[in-house]
Amino acid sequence: MTATGEIELLGPRIQAEVERAIQRNIKGLEYFTSPAPVLGATPKDVLHKRGTLNLYHYRPLADEVYRVPLLMVMATTNRGYIFDLAPGQSLVEFLLKHGYDVYLIDWSPPRPDESRLRLEDYTLAFIPDCVRRVKEDSGEEQVTILGYCMGGVLSVIYAALHPDTPLKNLVCFTTPIDWNHMGLFTKWAHRDFFDVDRLVDALGNVPSELIFTSFEMLRPATRSAGQIKLWENMWNDEFVKSHRMFERWSTDTLPLAGEYFRQTIKELMWQNGLFKSELTLGGRRADLGNIRAPVLHAVAEHDHIVPYDAAKPLVERVGSIDKQELVLKGGHVSVVAGGNAVKRLWPKLDAWLGERSI
Amino acid sequence: MAEPSSKDRAAAWQDLVAQWEKNLNALANRTMGSDEFRKSINQAVSLSAGMQSSLGEVMGRYLASLNLPSRAEMTSIGERLRAIEERLDRIHALLQRSAGVAEPEAAPTSAKPPRTKRPPGRGEKP
Repeated sequence: MTATGEIELLGPRIQAEVERAIQRNIKGLEYFTSPAPVLGATPKDVLHKRGTLNLYHYRPLADEVYRVPLLMVMATTNRGYIFDLAPGQSLVEFLLKHGYDVYLIDWSPPRPDESRLRLEDYTLAFIPDCVRRVKEDSGEEQVTILGYCMGGVLSVIYAALHPDTPLKNLVCFTTPIDWNHMGLFTKWAHRDFFDVDRLVDALGNVPSELIFTSFEMLRPATRSAGQIKLWENMWNDEFVKSHRMFERWSTDTLPLAGEYFRQTIKELMWQNGLFKSELTLGGRRADLGNIRAPVLHAVAEHDHIVPYDAAKPLVERVGSIDKQELVLKGGHVSVVAGGNAVKRLWPKLDAWLGERSI
Repeated sequence: MAEPSSKDRAAAWQDLVAQWEKNLNALANRTMGSDEFRKSINQAVSLSAGMQSSLGEVMGRYLASLNLPSRAEMTSIGERLRAIEERLDRIHALLQRSAGVAEPEAAPTSAKPPRTKRPPGRGEKP
């Protein structure tokens, strides 16, 4: 390119940079003065509430729905509005518009008197009770269950403990099975270093700050890098909106019921009971081979919370004939929500589930 | 040699930030996976939990001597009240159901769409 040509291009570039700098300052001010974004706003009804457990039914957005209702099970560490961020970025809204009848198990912070809740309460009482209520409300005999992360673990254990369950399909997102491959979590919670009894005995429920900090410590530079990226993109309304939604959700962690946490560490992490099919709850063995329903497992290529090696054994070990693993670009959260999920996971989920929901 | 454009500079800066993030995370992961780190972080967590528990007990005794409830007791009373309210709601719903009255928050059955949807490609428009 000639020197004259470069000079001609330089003017508009400088103008664009100056405009962005001005926009950054104006919008930066707006950012700090505007209220937090409204999340989880898709209309829904409370079907059941019991302490930490909330069962919601979303109001339909399609003229006709698939026969089989869909029960989503949120992770116990975070709020369920990751599935319902904002119009156009809500998995729930997407599913409703594509003709699914959607129910959600979401969790509130466990009360002090719920510190004694155990894995048995979640998998032998809460989920079966919700399945019964979904069946009753929908008038259908079969239910599809979709679990995310620890919600996936609970769903898998439920399905393995109930071979006679009316489970039509089991969908899991980033669900750990082999807890020996949980990266830094496995190292930090090693029995030689981590006194889980002392922690739970002293505190009852495990505080949300501890859960949040342990997630943050997996990638300590990411928050600072995120702030730099936010400032760079302050002129971009869509980027800022998305950043705020994810920021709010990721900091909104939940405390965990003490006994449930103790069991998770001892039976899932130390003994690797789910992977070895040795986990026994209420006198029943959670054998993954008991799961016969069609299974879809969506995992993320760059998941720093549930690495691929921890998630991989699910599809290998279930007894289902119809089973599929989807390895998608993205991380633990971006595989499920946000622009990446809208493009990649959601259409694939719809294609797989639609065929199996009639 | 041509000067790098502002677009190039912006991309270089973004690469630099991404590389810094990646390297720092990798370094931190190596450090945090060491036995020394694991030992010290778990000691800190245990100590903090122990102190939190002991402090709560001491404060509880102090407040009891003043004939005042502790924060934990107030929270517990609040939680019990919430649990009672929830139980009352469940009893109310059960009574309504047994009396054949529809629950007010429930969507009317007639508003429910038919469960006849077929996946696209099976005679259904997407």
